[in-house]
Amino acid sequence: MDSVGYHLAFWSLAVISVGAALGVVVSRNLIHAVIFLILAFVGVAGLYLVLSAEFIAVVQVLVYVGAISVLMLFAILLTPRAARDNAETSMRYPATILMGLVTAAMVFVAVETDWAAVLDDPVAESPRVIGQSLINEFVLPFEIAAVLLTAALVGAIALAREDPEDAPLHDESLAMEARRPGPHGPGPSPDDGDGGGSA
Amino acid sequence: MTIGLEHFLVVGALIFGIGLYVALAKRNAIAVLMGVELMLNAVNLTLVAFGRFTVTDVALSTQVFVMFIIATAAAEVAVGLALAMVVYRNRDTISVDRINLMRW
Amino acid sequence: MTALLAAWYDLRDLSGISREITEWVQGWGPEWLASALSGLIGSLAILAVVGPTLLLLIWVERKLIARIQVRYGPNRVGPRGLFQPVADAIKLILKEELVPRAADKWLFFLPPVLVFIPALLVWGVLPFGPNMQVADLNVGVLYLLAISGTNVLVIFIAGWASNNKYALFGAMRVIAMTISYEVPVVLSLLAVVFFTGSMSLNGIVQWQQQEDLILLLLLPLAALTFFIGGTAELNRTPMDIAEAESEIVAGYHTEYSGMRFGLFYAVELLNAFALSALMATFFLGGWWLWGLEEWVPSWLILLAKTSMVYFVLIWLRGTLPRLRIDQLMSFCWKFLVPAGLLFIVVAAVERTVLLETDWDRTVALPVMAVINAAITLAVVVLYARTAGGPLARLPHAPIMARGRVGGLRAARELAEAAGGGD
Repeated sequence: MDSVGYHLAFWSLAVISVGAALGVVVSRNLIHAVIFLILAFVGVAGLYLVLSAEFIAVVQVLVYVGAISVLMLFAILLTPRAARDNAETSMRYPATILMGLVTAAMVFVAVETDWAAVLDDPVAESPRVIGQSLINEFVLPFEIAAVLLTAALVGAIALAREDPEDAPLHDESLAMEARRPGPHGPGPSPDDGDGGGSA
Repeated sequence: MTIGLEHFLVVGALIFGIGLYVALAKRNAIAVLMGVELMLNAVNLTLVAFGRFTVTDVALSTQVFVMFIIATAAAEVAVGLALAMVVYRNRDTISVDRINLMRW
Repeated sequence: MTALLAAWYDLRDLSGISREITEWVQGWGPEWLASALSGLIGSLAILAVVGPTLLLLIWVERKLIARIQVRYGPNRVGPRGLFQPVADAIKLILKEELVPRAADKWLFFLPPVLVFIPALLVWGVLPFGPNMQVADLNVGVLYLLAISGTNVLVIFIAGWASNNKYALFGAMRVIAMTISYEVPVVLSLLAVVFFTGSMSLNGIVQWQQQEDLILLLLLPLAALTFFIGGTAELNRTPMDIAEAESEIVAGYHTEYSGMRFGLFYAVELLNAFALSALMATFFLGGWWLWGLEEWVPSWLILLAKTSMVYFVLIWLRGTLPRLRIDQLMSFCWKFLVPAGLLFIVVAAVERTVLLETDWDRTVALPVMAVINAAITLAVVVLYARTAGGPLARLPHAPIMARGRVGGLRAARELAEAAGGGD
C-alpha cells in the first residue's frame, strides 16, 4: 500500500474521476457532459482495480461505459437540441448549499472517524468467489435482480414504443395522416426528434 | 503517507456531492439521470473500499452488493430514459422545471 | 541440450528474456522499477508484434482480395508490391487533414487516437505461450467484452463530432449492430467458460491442452456464432453497413482525411487480426497443437492459426456481397440469439453430466462433440429451410465452367492466344 505505483495510481485516478465529475457540471454541452461522465466511470473502474476488485472494475466498464452511456447518448440524440445546453434550473443555489453541506459532512465523517481498517491480502480468484456466493447466500436477491431486469426491459420497450394510433397531440395533421388507412398502410409516424443529421 | 480507507471514502464523498448537485440542479431530465448515476458510482466505490479494508462474514459480500447496485442502476437508466422519451413526446420538453402538470 | 533449452535464449518461450531482465533489476534496484520494467517490456513486445504485422496485413489483404477478384493487386512498389503499405502511409501523412468548420473541434481530434486503445488492449491478455502473456487476468473473457464495448463509444464520438449526417448515420448503425451482435458473442463465450471453468484466456487454452480437444470440435455452434458475431463487430465487408459507400459515403469516418483516416483503416485491420487471434485462442487451441509446441515455438503456432482464421476473413470479404441492415438485424435476433440460447442450455447440461457422473472423459467428450455437431447441423438446416427464406430458384440450370475459365493464368493464356498472331 506504500509503493510508488500504488500512490501514483490512486492519486491520478482520483483526480481523473473527480475532475471528470466536475466536468459533467461545468460543460455547456450535454454530449460533452456525457463524455466527461464516461471518463468518470472509467476513473472509478480504475479505482476498483486499485482496490483489487478486478471483477467489479470490468463489470463497471462493461455496463456503465458500454451500455448505460450509449443509452444516454441515444436518448440525447432523440430529444430536442434546445435542451442540450446542460443548463441549471433555479434550484442552482439551494442545490449548491445542500451539496456543500452533504459533502462536508461526509468528508468530515470519513476523515475524523477512527476506522478499524484492516488490510489483508485480496481474495484470490474473486470472480469464482463472487459467483459462488451469488448462487449460495444471495440466490434470492440474484433471482429478484433477474426479474427486475426483465421487468425493466419490458417496461422500457412498452414506454418508448411509439404507437401510430396515439400519435403526439401537438401535430394534428400528421396524426390524422397516420390514422387514415391508405393504400400503403399507415402513413409515416411523425418523427419528432432531430435524431438525424445535425447540419 | 499510506493510502487508507479514508482516501477512498473522501473520493467517494466528492463524487457523491457532485452527483447530488447534478441531480438537483440540472434542467435536462437526462442530465438528472447522469447525476443519479454519479451518486450510485460513488456509493459503489465506498462499498468496495469498505469491503477491501474490513473483514466480512461472507467473503466479498460487498462486491456482490455492488453487482446488485449495478444491475439495478442499469434497469433504472433504461426505464428512466424511456420515461424521458415519453415525457418529451407528450409534453414537448424534457426540462424538469417545465414538467409541472402535477403542481397545484 | 536440456541446459541449452529453458534458458533466456530459448526461442520457444520469449518471456525468458523479460524474466531475466526483471530478475537482474530486482538484484540491485527497487521493487517498483522491476514491475514497471516488466510491464514496459510487455507493452513494447506487443507494439513490436502489432506494428510490423499491421504493415504486412495491409499488403496481404490487398493482394489476396485482388487474387480472389482476378486482379494482380499492388505490384509496383518493391518486390511484388511489398512496400505498398509504406507508400500508402507516406501518401496519407502528406495529405491535408481537413477539419469541417461545423465540427466539434475537440471531439473531432480524439477518436483517431482513442480508437487505438481498445485495439491494443486486447493483446494484453492474449497468451502467446504458456508464460508469454502480459497480464493473465482471471476475468480475461469479461475484459475482452468490456474492451469491445468501449470501441462503440469511440466510433460514436467520431460520427457525432464530424457534424455530418452520413457520419452520424454510420455511427448509429455501428452502435445498433455492435450492441445486437454483442449478445451472441457473449453467449458463445459463456458456453466456452461453462466448459473450461475459467475466464482466463490461458486457462481456456490449458483446458483444451488437458482434454486433448479443441473447442471448435466440442462447440461448433458457439464457434460459428462467435465468428459471425465478431465479423459483424469488425464492420468488414459482408457486414460493413456502417461504412457502406453506396449508401452513406464512408460512414463514421466520412469527414476524416489524411492520416486520421489512415488510423481508422489501420485499426480496422488490427481488430480483424485480433479477432482471428481470439478465435484461434478460444476455439482452435491457441498456442497448443497436440504436442507440437514442444518443438516449434508456441507463438509461431498461435500465429499460424491466427493467419488461418484471418485468411477465412479475407476470403469472406472478397466473396460475399454486403447485407442490408434489416437482414443483418434479423439474422442476429432470429438466428444467432436463439441458437445461442439453445447451445447455452446444451452446454450447461453437458457440463453438469461431466461434473456429476464419473464417465471416462476421453469417451464422453467426443460423444458430446458428435451430439453438438448434429445439433449445429440441425439448427443451421432448420433455419435455412424455414426462417431463412426460400431458396433462390434459378431460371435454368447454371452453366458450369468447363476447362479453365477463371484465374490470372487463364487470362494470360487467353491474351497469349489472342495476341498469338503477331
